[in-house]
Order: sequence, then C-alpha cells, then structure tokens
Amino acid sequence: MIGTFQKMIASARGGVRARLAVPLPIKQDLDLLCRVTEEGFILPVLIGDGGAMESLVKKSPLSSLEHEIVNVEDPGEALSTAITLVREGRADILMQGGIGQKPFMEEVLDAKNGLLKSKVASYASIVQFQRREKLVLVTDTFINNFPGIAEKQIILENALGLAGILGMEEPKVAVISAIEQVNPSIPSTLDAAALAKMAERGQFGKAVVDGPLDMDCALSRVAAARKNVRSVVTGNADIYLVPEIETGLPLVQALCFFGGMKTAGMMLGAKVPVIPDIPFISDEERAAELALAVLMTRKGGNHE
Amino acid sequence: MIRSLSDISRLALEKGPKKLAVLAPEDEEFMLAVKRSWEKGCIEPVLIGDRDKMARVAETVGFDISRFEQIVEHDRQTVSDLGIGMLFSGDVSVVSKGQITTSYVYRSIIRAEAKAASGMTVTVVSIWEVPGVDHLVGFTDSGVNIRPDFKTKVEILRNAVFLCHLLGYETPGIAVLSGRRTFGEDLPSYADYELLRRMAGSGCLGDCEILEATSIAEIFLGAGGRLKESFDGIDLSKTPHIFLAPCLDTANILAKLDLAMDIKRCSISVTSRGAVCIPARSDLSSAIEDQIEMGVVVADRIQEGVR
Repeated sequence: MIGTFQKMIASARGGVRARLAVPLPIKQDLDLLCRVTEEGFILPVLIGDGGAMESLVKKSPLSSLEHEIVNVEDPGEALSTAITLVREGRADILMQGGIGQKPFMEEVLDAKNGLLKSKVASYASIVQFQRREKLVLVTDTFINNFPGIAEKQIILENALGLAGILGMEEPKVAVISAIEQVNPSIPSTLDAAALAKMAERGQFGKAVVDGPLDMDCALSRVAAARKNVRSVVTGNADIYLVPEIETGLPLVQALCFFGGMKTAGMMLGAKVPVIPDIPFISDEERAAELALAVLMTRKGGNHE
Repeated sequence: MIRSLSDISRLALEKGPKKLAVLAPEDEEFMLAVKRSWEKGCIEPVLIGDRDKMARVAETVGFDISRFEQIVEHDRQTVSDLGIGMLFSGDVSVVSKGQITTSYVYRSIIRAEAKAASGMTVTVVSIWEVPGVDHLVGFTDSGVNIRPDFKTKVEILRNAVFLCHLLGYETPGIAVLSGRRTFGEDLPSYADYELLRRMAGSGCLGDCEILEATSIAEIFLGAGGRLKESFDGIDLSKTPHIFLAPCLDTANILAKLDLAMDIKRCSISVTSRGAVCIPARSDLSSAIEDQIEMGVVVADRIQEGVR
C-alpha cells in the first residue's frame, strides 16, 4: 500500500511514461515538469503559441529534456486542444496549466465537449495524516456543492477506484456527519445510513462503509467506544466521505493549515486523470499528484 | 484578555467555586472531571442522575459524593430539564452536560429561553486552543442549528461575539465560511457572507470585524495567493477569533478535528442566564475539566456584567 507522497513518486518511476497535456504552461509549471520528466514518468506536451512556448522552455532546464510542443496560435484554443488530445488518446493526463480555474473546470466538466465519463465527476483530496504513515482520502472537496444520495454513491465509487490504485484492498469508509446517530432532521445522517446499508449488501465490493459517524468516532476508536459505536472503521478510516462542499473544502484546509498536513488531489470520474490547480497544494505534492495520475493511467483505473 | 486554556484554568481557580449542576455524571471520565474540578476549588457540584450509576462511578474514581446535593432522576429529559431549570432560576451558575445525549440539553435550553421570553437563539461555540495562535478560536454553531438561515446566522454570530467579549476580545475577527469556488453555482453561504459583512460594516453586529475571506486558505494565503513551500511558514496569527460555519455538519466536524491535531477543544453554550458546558460524550476527563473551567469563568463574567 502506498502510504506517503514520496512512495507515490517512487512507485511511478521506472515504468511507461505518460503523456501529460499542459495548456498554456506558466513558469511554475515548468519547474514541476522538469522534476517529473527527470523522474522519468512524464512526457510533457505543452500546448500554446509555438514561439512563446519555445521561448519559455529555453529559459528552463526542460529545454534539455524530452518534451513536445503543440502549436496553437490562439491561446483561447489551448484548453480545447488539450482536451481533444486527451479524447483522441494522444495524451494520458490533463493538468490545468496556465488556464484560470473557472474556465478550466467549466470546460472539463462540460457535458458535451468535456471529459466526463459519467454524470458525476468528483474530487478527492489525499491527506498524509500526522503521526502515521498513512494516506487518507477525503471527498468530495472541490466539485459537487450539495450532492444527494445518488451523487454520493458515485462520489464514493470514484474514491474507491482511487483507493484501489493506492493499494487499499478493503478500504474502510467513514461517512461523516455532525452526529453518529441517524436523525431524520439531519439529512447527512440519512445519506450515510443508506450508503452503509448499500455497502452491507455488497454494492461497493470489498469496501467497509460505516455511517453516520461524527468526527470523533471517525478519528478515534477510544472516542467511538465511549459512545458505544463499535466498528472497524472507527479510528482507522481510509476514506472520509463528507456531506457537502461546505464541509469538505474547509475540512481539508483545516487539516493543512492548522495541522500542517500535506495534501494532494485528483479529479475523478473523467475519461483520464485531471489535475486542477489548488493553491494550497505545494510543488512537492503536485509532483505526487502527477505520479498518482501516471499510476492510474498504467492500471487503467478511473478512465476509459 | 484570555489567550489560552491555561488562562481559563487560572481564572477558574480565582473565581471559583461556582455552583455547578452536572447532568448525569454516570461515567468515570465525567465523575473524575467533577472530582478534580471540586478538589481544585472551581466548583460546588449538584449531581443529577441515576443514584446507583453515580454512586458506582464515584466509588471507582475515589470520590465521596455524599457531601454534595444529589437529585435522583432516571428520565434523561427530566435530568436535563432539572439542571437547566436550576440555571434559569439562579440556583446554580453553571450547568455541565454529563454522559447524556446532547439533544436533551438543547431541548431544555430552548424551552427555558422560550419560557423566559429572552428572545435568545440557542447556539454552541466549540473553542480551540491552537499552538502558535495567541487567542482562542471558536467554531459556531457546532451544536443546535442544522442549516441556519440568514436571520439565524445573525443570532449565532451575536452570541459568538458576546462570548468573545466575555473572553476579553474587544473587536473579534470573524470568518464567515463558505464552500464557494471560482466555478459553479453561487452558494447561499456566500450571499450570507456578503450581507453579514455589510451589516458588520454598519455596526449592526456590535464590536466585531468580518474578514474579507470565506475559506481558511484565503485567510492565510490571501485572495489568489499560493502556498510557497510548506505549511511551516504559515502565519497563524491571522487566525480569526470565530469561524461562522454554513451549517451544523461543518462546524461540528471541524471542531472535532482536535483528535487529529495538536489542538485542545471545549464547547460552551452561553444562555441568557449563564453558561452550559457541552463536553462530547467521547471526551476524556482532562478535556471535560477544561470545559468546566471555561464554564466557571464565563459564568463569572456574565455575573459581573449583570452586577
């Protein structure tokens, strides 16, 4: 099982390189691309005005490393060209590059011309918890505002696919809520109970899903026992499924800013791994994101 | 100004003992916390609950409870109603939840506030002590209001600001959290943020300041900012005094992250008549002690204000 970001990078070394489409890369992207190209798991495909791309690359160590440039004279076409490359199988992974977050996400999520594989794309944050060598997935932390039970089911399936890539054979899922009891007044508890029941019936394969769990029960077996909640998930969850974006986004940010925990992330449910640019993910973890995307590509996970 | 739980602890010793009603201290951790708080001179307990269970756990932790007032009651809602009733009649200064489901306590407070016609909305603030931050940090509402509308958020905020003032924060900084990103539909929580910010600007929310940021990342990195290398260099002094969460799930889930980090938590509900400590049923005795001490100090400051 891959338990750290460093191991993620190490796992990606030495295999077949993946072609990474990067529309309108900026200098910071080039630093990252140099690193992952040297690591040997990425072949960058830079998309934009040929002259501008050449000039940018010349100022970077990437000039001496293998890369490709796809000339698109109109910068406004760079993203759609990148998406076309991916759709046609000429690129394996898509990164945001220098495209703004709003146009990037809107174009990628476009039902007709984007990269959606199903109706629901989601984003999983991967957090390296303190005090233990373990990666934990938290989802959805970026894409879906207020998912209903049908969307949560797919969000969970997406995360389970990623968990498989990380080597979690029987992932333990905590469906979290404000309280650990089912209370019809709190919708997240009903969704959690339904998902747990689905899992009990084998709808999520080998995954063990428990919920609703409040955060103390999810994080600590001792705390859960004091509330008479006994489950293999308590204190040992691999995946935290959150009620909605209003919880998911601040949850990951709190772990990072107050807990100093490292995070990476990945858009799931697309035809290929897609990596949006999240401002609180450092370059080190962005390299890990690319390594994970490569592992997904090699295993054929989460994309066609 | 109170900057830490150590400050609270010191003040609780100075200001105690306060009469404290404990709702169902029927578990060793709760009884141990009551014992230690009494031994330190912070409280004079009134124990309400199941006689046999209280006697058993008291014996286990070596606490002679025969000298204290005990009210024997088995029904959970009645246990809670009795304790909150004592607070509202002035018989005790503080109430602490014991090993009892929190919903009973909230129901009692809501009924008591309605009877008292106080107009006060019942809310809970969960407070963190964070290493590197020179003040306590609250998350609200972590207990009662499931999906508060704008009007309720105003009340939640007013209660939190009141608590901040009690703790000595004259102009608390408040972050109104929203899950807003640059894409997708607008969120009601962001519209609430804009309105609250406007209200605060015109002084309608009392002495407080609403930060120009709706996410934790935005607070520390600024709008459009990026993490440089690691979180080690983050300036935590920008942490607001209060995070107003969009819903109960958010506040409660964030508040309990203390179990994953080097952070201490305590939760309190400030009612129109005094303080109610809201430890989680999973809390251990040291955390429950912290919350009792917080209750003692807040009760004292409310009484000072009343005087």
